[in-house]
Amino acid sequence: MKIVLNDVPYEFTGNTLEDLLNELGKSQQGIAIAINQQVVPKSLWCATELNEQSQVFIFESIAGG
Amino acid sequence: MSSLLIAGHEFHSRLFTGTGKYASADAMMDSLTASESELVTLSLRRMDLKNHTDNILQPLQQQGIKLLPNTSGARTAKEAVFAAELAREALETHWVKLEIHPDPRYLMPDGMETLLAAEELIKKGFVVMPYVHADPVLCKRLEEVGCQCVMPLGSPIGSNMGLASRPFLEIIIEQSRVPVIIDAGIGAPSDASLAMELGADAVLVNTAMAVAKRPAQMGKAFRLAVEAGRMAYESGLGAKRIQAQATSPLTDFLGALS
Repeated sequence: MKIVLNDVPYEFTGNTLEDLLNELGKSQQGIAIAINQQVVPKSLWCATELNEQSQVFIFESIAGG
Repeated sequence: MSSLLIAGHEFHSRLFTGTGKYASADAMMDSLTASESELVTLSLRRMDLKNHTDNILQPLQQQGIKLLPNTSGARTAKEAVFAAELAREALETHWVKLEIHPDPRYLMPDGMETLLAAEELIKKGFVVMPYVHADPVLCKRLEEVGCQCVMPLGSPIGSNMGLASRPFLEIIIEQSRVPVIIDAGIGAPSDASLAMELGADAVLVNTAMAVAKRPAQMGKAFRLAVEAGRMAYESGLGAKRIQAQATSPLTDFLGALS
């Protein structure tokens, strides 16, 4: 399915947010996800299914003051 | 030296630090370790999907350092609340350094938006540490809405200009019933020491440690300065006067020679 990931179209072969992170090869540590401007709690990542045209933003923690 | 309590959490170090601007994760860890800081700030950004980012979380957590996400990048209260909610998920903490600066040139904090965001975040259960101007009225308002501390600036972020706002910081310190953490502009250990001598509860230092030629040694220098300043404050500094006051008794024991 086609989703929009961090403002860029992305072809996704899985179902859930957890699948997406696995596909991207990203650790779950230090990151947060919002779908359609709503923060999705980490506990729901494995159960949250993505739909065609879902607007997904993934954020990561980085160094800062 | 007494410990510092914020929202029920006890800090033995009164030096809070940032993690930005270090040349490498190793340099950062060496500096933070030498500083003995127990609270460090972090930022959030949209994940870089193409490049790998250094994992700085793991070494910080291994060291047992408490993480304080900031809302840097937020220009409005609404954006800051969203950033805080993301940070809570990302770093599993309900503590947040609230900073809202719409202007990238001077990075001046927007007091009105900060107050609005603070009220909302406190209702949502966050421990809010607001970065604001050295504005005594605003700091009182933030205290009244439930902020657990206030973080007035010494001078603009990264400017190394020290306590340019000193007269106002002194009013804030005198009036505040919550801890006062002087943030931004602290360029030298002497600035940090002065802040502590004035009665600040803690300081937050980033640039001065991160861009030093020897970040680890500078971390230690700041640790010593903060400890010295706090100890002096707790010991009770003498009052200033214009006239001299002799430390040796002025007797006339040499009078016979003249």
